[in-house]
Amino acid sequence: MGTNIKDTQKLIEEVLSAYPEKAQKERAKHLAANDPTGQCSSCQVKSNTKSRPGVMTVRGCAYAGAKGVVWGPVKDQITISHGPIGCGQYSWWARRNYYNGQTGIDTFGTMHITTDFKESSIVYGGDKGLYAALNELKGLFPLAKSMGILSECPVGLIGDDIEAVAKKVSTEMNMPIVPVRCEGFRGVSQSLGHHIANDSIRDHILGKGKLETSTPYDIALIGDYNIGGDAWASRKMLEELGLRVIAQWTGDASINEMGIAHLAKVNLIHCYRSMNYICRHMEEKYGIPWVEFNFFGPTKIYQSIRKIASLFDDKIKDNAEKMIEKYKPVMDAVINEFKPKLEDKKVMLYVGGLRPRHTIGAYEDLGMKVVAAGYEFGHNDDYKRTYPELKEGMVIMDDVTLYELEEFTRRLRPDMIGAGIKEKYSYHKMGVPFRQMHSWDYSGPYHGFDGFPVFARDMDMTVNSPTWDLIRRKR
Amino acid sequence: MRQIAIYGKGGIGKSTTTQNLVVGLAEAGYKCMIVGCDPKADSTRLILHRKAQTTVMDLARERGSVEDLNIEEVLIEGYRGIRCAESGGPEPGVGCAGRGVITAINFLEENGAYTEDLDFVFYDVLGDVVCGGFAMPIREGKAKEIYIVTSGEMMAMYAANNISRGILKYAQSGGVRLGGLICNARVVDKEFELISELAKQLNTQLIHFVPRDNQVQRAELRRTTVIEYTPEHPQADQYRSLAKKIAENRNFVIPTPIVMDDLEKLLMDFGILEAEEVA
Amino acid sequence: MTPMKIKDHNELFLEEEYKEQFKRKREFELSPSAEEVKEISDWTKTQEYKKLNFERKNIKINPAKACQPLGAVFCASGFEGSMPFVQGAQGCVAYFRSHLSRHFKEPFSAISTSMTEDAAVFGGLNNMLEGLENAYTLYHPKILPVSTTCMAEVIGDDLNSFIKQAKEKGIIPKDFLVPFAHTPSFTGSYINGYDNMLKGILLTVTEGKRGHSNGKINIIPGFDTYTGDYREIKRLLDIMGVEYTILADVSEIFDCPNTGEYKLYPGGTKLADAMDSINAAATVALQKYSTLKTLDYIHKEWNQKTSVQQPIGIKNTDRFFDEISNLSGKPIPQEINDERGRAVDAMVDSHPYVHGKRFALIGDPDQLLGLMSFLMEMGGIPVHIVCTMGDKAFEEDAYRVLSENPFGAEGKVYAGMDMWHLRSLLFTDPVDFLIGNSYAKLLWRDTGTPLIRIGFPLFDRHHLHRYPLIGYQGVINLVNLIVNIVLDELDRSTINTTSFDVIR
Repeated sequence: MGTNIKDTQKLIEEVLSAYPEKAQKERAKHLAANDPTGQCSSCQVKSNTKSRPGVMTVRGCAYAGAKGVVWGPVKDQITISHGPIGCGQYSWWARRNYYNGQTGIDTFGTMHITTDFKESSIVYGGDKGLYAALNELKGLFPLAKSMGILSECPVGLIGDDIEAVAKKVSTEMNMPIVPVRCEGFRGVSQSLGHHIANDSIRDHILGKGKLETSTPYDIALIGDYNIGGDAWASRKMLEELGLRVIAQWTGDASINEMGIAHLAKVNLIHCYRSMNYICRHMEEKYGIPWVEFNFFGPTKIYQSIRKIASLFDDKIKDNAEKMIEKYKPVMDAVINEFKPKLEDKKVMLYVGGLRPRHTIGAYEDLGMKVVAAGYEFGHNDDYKRTYPELKEGMVIMDDVTLYELEEFTRRLRPDMIGAGIKEKYSYHKMGVPFRQMHSWDYSGPYHGFDGFPVFARDMDMTVNSPTWDLIRRKR
Repeated sequence: MRQIAIYGKGGIGKSTTTQNLVVGLAEAGYKCMIVGCDPKADSTRLILHRKAQTTVMDLARERGSVEDLNIEEVLIEGYRGIRCAESGGPEPGVGCAGRGVITAINFLEENGAYTEDLDFVFYDVLGDVVCGGFAMPIREGKAKEIYIVTSGEMMAMYAANNISRGILKYAQSGGVRLGGLICNARVVDKEFELISELAKQLNTQLIHFVPRDNQVQRAELRRTTVIEYTPEHPQADQYRSLAKKIAENRNFVIPTPIVMDDLEKLLMDFGILEAEEVA
Repeated sequence: MTPMKIKDHNELFLEEEYKEQFKRKREFELSPSAEEVKEISDWTKTQEYKKLNFERKNIKINPAKACQPLGAVFCASGFEGSMPFVQGAQGCVAYFRSHLSRHFKEPFSAISTSMTEDAAVFGGLNNMLEGLENAYTLYHPKILPVSTTCMAEVIGDDLNSFIKQAKEKGIIPKDFLVPFAHTPSFTGSYINGYDNMLKGILLTVTEGKRGHSNGKINIIPGFDTYTGDYREIKRLLDIMGVEYTILADVSEIFDCPNTGEYKLYPGGTKLADAMDSINAAATVALQKYSTLKTLDYIHKEWNQKTSVQQPIGIKNTDRFFDEISNLSGKPIPQEINDERGRAVDAMVDSHPYVHGKRFALIGDPDQLLGLMSFLMEMGGIPVHIVCTMGDKAFEEDAYRVLSENPFGAEGKVYAGMDMWHLRSLLFTDPVDFLIGNSYAKLLWRDTGTPLIRIGFPLFDRHHLHRYPLIGYQGVINLVNLIVNIVLDELDRSTINTTSFDVIR
């Protein structure tokens, strides 16, 4: 065991010493010093367990996973927040899943549509109201391709049968009506919501779309939510590679694309955490292989392009090399521009289920070092994929609390933090440069050759903003 | 103002007993209110002489929100000025009846149903304390006394014991106490002795043994209570007696629920269960 | 140093390559044809569609409303050392925190008891006990105000009993302040959550505190998301020499100086002041609908004079100062009269650009009443007034305000309606300007009605909440905000005509 690891373990112990004994023991399992070789048994963190009541967690709920991540971006479905008014309001138009279409006419992504439960909906059940609501929506939005019913907490508690309502209406209207049982009290984080949403795609949409022709180069782009246009930047590259993207999930996705991914030759998955379930299903049922890839930063992009091309014929392999040749100068120019300003800067990441590992390469391309990485709702398999990406002795943190984040910041002295909106402004107050790494801080895309320059520019403006120096700190 | 909750197994005669008893209290000059906490909404029909009154939740559903109701629409005076309200709620199998109880009681409180002149408020609560909503009437600041209606039948006794467990939880943290068991006789063997013994084991009393009498049904068919229908009938005196005992009751306890084995032993001791049946 | 030219999403996707890509993607989308889309789009602008739209009863589309516990945590945060504590599922609290942070660009702390399936079945007592223990030890709060999510409300958790049990078991000290409010999200909205929580807090902190009158005036701002308003009311009362207590003072929570140090508890009403609020001479609320129960409680239980003032616009502000002067016995100083003079002067100078302009408004009930009154004072005409969280009482109040002014004759009030209803109204009966929150930009895009951003939430413009809307200074800010958008719009619409004037 390296000294790096021992030092970090000591640091973690110090941070945890403030907790009451029970919480200390529990939290110790979720924090570790990284061992890229995977040999150090005490370096494996425990994950996907319940957050402790009364401890400020950053995590959300199953509804947030099902609506905010998986179903929300599907553009031509009317996605109904079924229950009280709040959930749909707080998740309204918040994740920047870009799409083309005329909102309110043929697409509905940035709308907030809810059954707005009243007491009587709780006491008498919400099924009748839901039935009527679906009919009203059909009348007002005749071009909708599907309607999704995302249940909020009370729906599950009072035992409403939304599946029965969905089935009835689906038959009457001859269109998919997708019940999604993503009540917020289910599971321990957003993660279960992804799974539940994946299952609802499997049960109600997959296999039902139309695709006229088929080519040997058909692929589906899975787990890209088109935040700030990410999926478009990725798609551009895949098309340039010579592949045909028949389905894009779920950023800018249409219901038809959701229904034809099983016709792809291979599923390319970017966010493993949120969509591995449906990829595994397509593998089992349709024999479609799936491949993980990473389009953040040139190093990982080159690797990924070659990895993807290796699944196809020589034409595609040639294209991959040509592309790298074509874009390498552009990428190098970006690196030359920004690396001098970012070299050796330390980064601490606390994000959802993909970026803590996927963006490490992009930071390293700019000469930056990720000194701590953690997931809000990662599972074991996410951490296994993270250990080799991160240098020895760096901090791995699972469902980290505000207190721990603050302590690690004090001790590791990162030059910037990448996390979410709830963390952002406390770091502003601390005077620590901060970037939202869920929403790209209203910027983007960060994926692909078109995304990396934006990423580099944004990290530079974060770390090197003159505003940080204006803060008059107490000595 | 004394607030009293009546619990008991479904079908045991809670609503009938409560209404007859409340009429007994009203006849003795007490000002009473009944709040039905059962979606069946049959807690006030004998007082109001009608099928069922408009319930808080039914009207709220019709209007869209509880805020749109007026108290006069759901709080109605019946026989001898007894005030009646029903929480209402869904058909069996849908929704959440317990939440209806919370909503209705909140509404009544906020809209001035609990006036100073009331001597008694009775909550007639559905069956068991199945969820938080059905414990609403015994939350702090509400009913402090509970009576359990039971009979000599095993399941009724089982339910009484179970309800005692529910009360125990609330009694430890709040001020709610068990005032006694009311036996609504089913004419099983040694019923009086059996329930007296159960009461003893639960650390309470059998406050009154109401004998079975068809006069209760006759009155009920005419949507009225025995006291109003036939004031001279001996059964009317039974309810008067129950009313008097409750009015004068000072025996309030934290119940000591018993384990299943003890309950079965009790039934065996009184010869209701044969040893083989238990084995 | 010339920075490298980098195209982000704002420009990137306008490029030809991407336009081609989008076209190719349509093959897999099976989306309706441009003709079909246009046909439906045109149909949604018709009277026929409006009728259909107004017939719906079971679905809200783009409502301007959020749930009770949001108001509860907002209110709870405004006390010294207070950690808002929410009994229920954890996602709700994550949502409240991000929602408030997106609006204020400030950190917001609140705690959840993270209830899951087991709590759904067995009740939330254990979560409450562990939650209180952890919150108390980890965050060292001075007060833990408890509210509820719909989950705790549906299963019927009894907060009072739970908190008592926590104290009896010694999890938190017996005298530690744990006020509570039941705040079901399927009833009312955040204005009611604010009201319930404030009443709960006052009930708890003033227990046993009744003493001699302290002669102060309590000010309840209500669910007011303009931090500028809090600073303004303090400034004005200081000028008048009136002693006061703000209940709850969220100004430091949502507008905290950057000192290089993150403070978990940046300010709020001092607990000693909150405790002493029972001994004030009077209580003045600056909103009606978010303080109904609290004022009723203060009036009945504290026997205080209570008064509702909504000091937005000149006459409302006049009334406010008269009332404060009455209650405190202090005269209105010349300084404030001067401010009035400046505000009126601004209105007089700018009136030609507002007079006769027709407005649609969507927002919170109290703010709407104030804005309507102000607009009519300038000669503006409120036409469509939409209040998703409004009820019948609001409708009556709004019509009363309209009826008191000849410019109100055209106004129609739509309580319980949403932005999709307003969309139909804007198509079938167009107006010149729209006032609403950031989400109303959808209406701006669809109908072309220029949007003046006033309300909550404001996500897409920065710092608007720092400028007060109340008082005479608020009037100047409103004139500035509204008139300059009118003028921007005028420039835009006359850009290639001779009317593109330099002096307006």
